[in-house]
Amino acid sequence: MYIQRTTNDNYESLIHDITGKVGKEMAMIEVKNVTKSFGTLTVLKNFNVEFNQEGVTVLLGPSGTGKSTLLRCINGLETVDEGDILVNGRSVKEKKNLRDIRLDCGMVFQRTVLFPHLNVMQNLTMSPVKLLKMDKAKAEEKAIYYLKKVGLESKAKALHNELSGGEQQRIAIARALMMNPKALLLDEITSALDPEMTSEVLKILENLAAEGVCMLCVTHEMQFAKHAASRIIFMDKGSMEADVTAEEFFSTVRKENERIAKFLNFIGE
Amino acid sequence: MSFYDYANLTGNDAMQFLRAAGVTLYITIVSLLIGSILGIALGIVRCSKNKAVSALPLILIEPLRNSPLVTQLFLIYYGLPMVSSIMLDPYPAAILAISLNTAAFMAVLVHNSISAVPQGQWEAGLALGHSSASTFIHVIARQAFRLLIPQAITLYISQLQCSSLVALIGIMDLTKLGQNLALRTLKPFMIYGIVFLIYYILSSPLSKLARDLEKKLSFNY
Ligand SMILES: Nc1ncnc2c1ncn2[C@@H]1O[C@H](COP(=O)(O)OP(=O)(O)OP(=O)(O)O)[C@@H](O)[C@H]1O
Ligand SMILES: [Mg+2]
Repeated sequence: MYIQRTTNDNYESLIHDITGKVGKEMAMIEVKNVTKSFGTLTVLKNFNVEFNQEGVTVLLGPSGTGKSTLLRCINGLETVDEGDILVNGRSVKEKKNLRDIRLDCGMVFQRTVLFPHLNVMQNLTMSPVKLLKMDKAKAEEKAIYYLKKVGLESKAKALHNELSGGEQQRIAIARALMMNPKALLLDEITSALDPEMTSEVLKILENLAAEGVCMLCVTHEMQFAKHAASRIIFMDKGSMEADVTAEEFFSTVRKENERIAKFLNFIGE
Repeated sequence: MSFYDYANLTGNDAMQFLRAAGVTLYITIVSLLIGSILGIALGIVRCSKNKAVSALPLILIEPLRNSPLVTQLFLIYYGLPMVSSIMLDPYPAAILAISLNTAAFMAVLVHNSISAVPQGQWEAGLALGHSSASTFIHVIARQAFRLLIPQAITLYISQLQCSSLVALIGIMDLTKLGQNLALRTLKPFMIYGIVFLIYYILSSPLSKLARDLEKKLSFNY
């Protein structure tokens, strides 16, 4: 049932296919009845959702509704209080699964966290070499491939403080892709950037999406949601308010659902 | 009249200065080595998520940081033989005292350096699939080490100077030699001036190194 992880798979394909191996009946990520609280604040309430390895899903919702918490629970950075999350059949509740779950779901954060003691190339190759025991020369070759994907092959030797915020985020995306994730979890990765850098990063994401990289992203960039998303999930106060296709969301749902209309108005869309 | 005649010093005294500087350096370096290793271990234990475990090193650290080194030295050299069968010669007693004292201060520096690495670095490591141990080794410790080095050098300089206290248990280090020669020559200003200069020459390049490294090794996260 579990998928064998190999280190020398062909990275020239950006899609690390899982269909056929996990069986059609099982979604890649299954969030089952998850409740999560911080102290007395319940952030997720009996939350259910499934993600298959397909397309771009955008998570929308007002601030503080638990979008980040959901992503962090999926890759085990937060523990769930009740319910369970299965990633390719592996429960996040078992500590021994976390490594495979995190390799399956690459994550990029709002505040960039490149490793400041390493240059760009080393940021990309460190984990494949140390964790997946990939040959260093091979890892570097692969890194160049992904640096080209994010348009930064000239920055291989740069240190993090020699890069703009947008460049740092693109490097962080490339670093996540180095591990052959089955999906990328992106948590407002452009919200700390100025508009110009934001569009740089979003363009990279759109390119990756067009090549079939599966993404689960929290973003307030509606243009990106319109262009790239296939599915939109709207969360409010820890529960699911809508789970629809992008077309439906921007046509019928926004007219019919008052809260969503309000939210879209509020963010100026 | 030559300098030696003026100062009532002989060529042999010059040799003695060298030897005494060697004693000071020997005691300091050995103690710093032992103290650093012990301090790093204690500092890492201090970072444990388990509150009870992380508090354990405090049993050693707190008393050592909150009492004078000279008291610790006397306690080990004069005190221990009174209450146990442990009777240390001056050298081992000096090295033990300075090592423990260094370890206590080093542990705090190590703990602070590790805590100074932002939480986001842990999460970035974990999110890439590293275990906690692997994240610590490949991400956190390397950054913490760079933050630690300049502070450790500053501690080393201060301990080099504190090593002068071993004169009080009869070890012929720079300070003790200064005392002897000052009595013999009756020129304390000049003799202690020479002692002062030797300490200064040993310390000052290290101070500069610490300042340079501080700029070079720090991160703006
Ligand atoms: N580690 C934590 N400890 C305590 N409270 C937390 C913690 N993490 C999140 N919260 C709280 O949980 C709630 C949901 O947070 P979360 O970050 O998931 O919201 P969000 O939907 O991502 O919001 P935003 O759009 O502002 O990023 C917030 O009220 C937040 O203050
Ligand atoms: Mg958030």
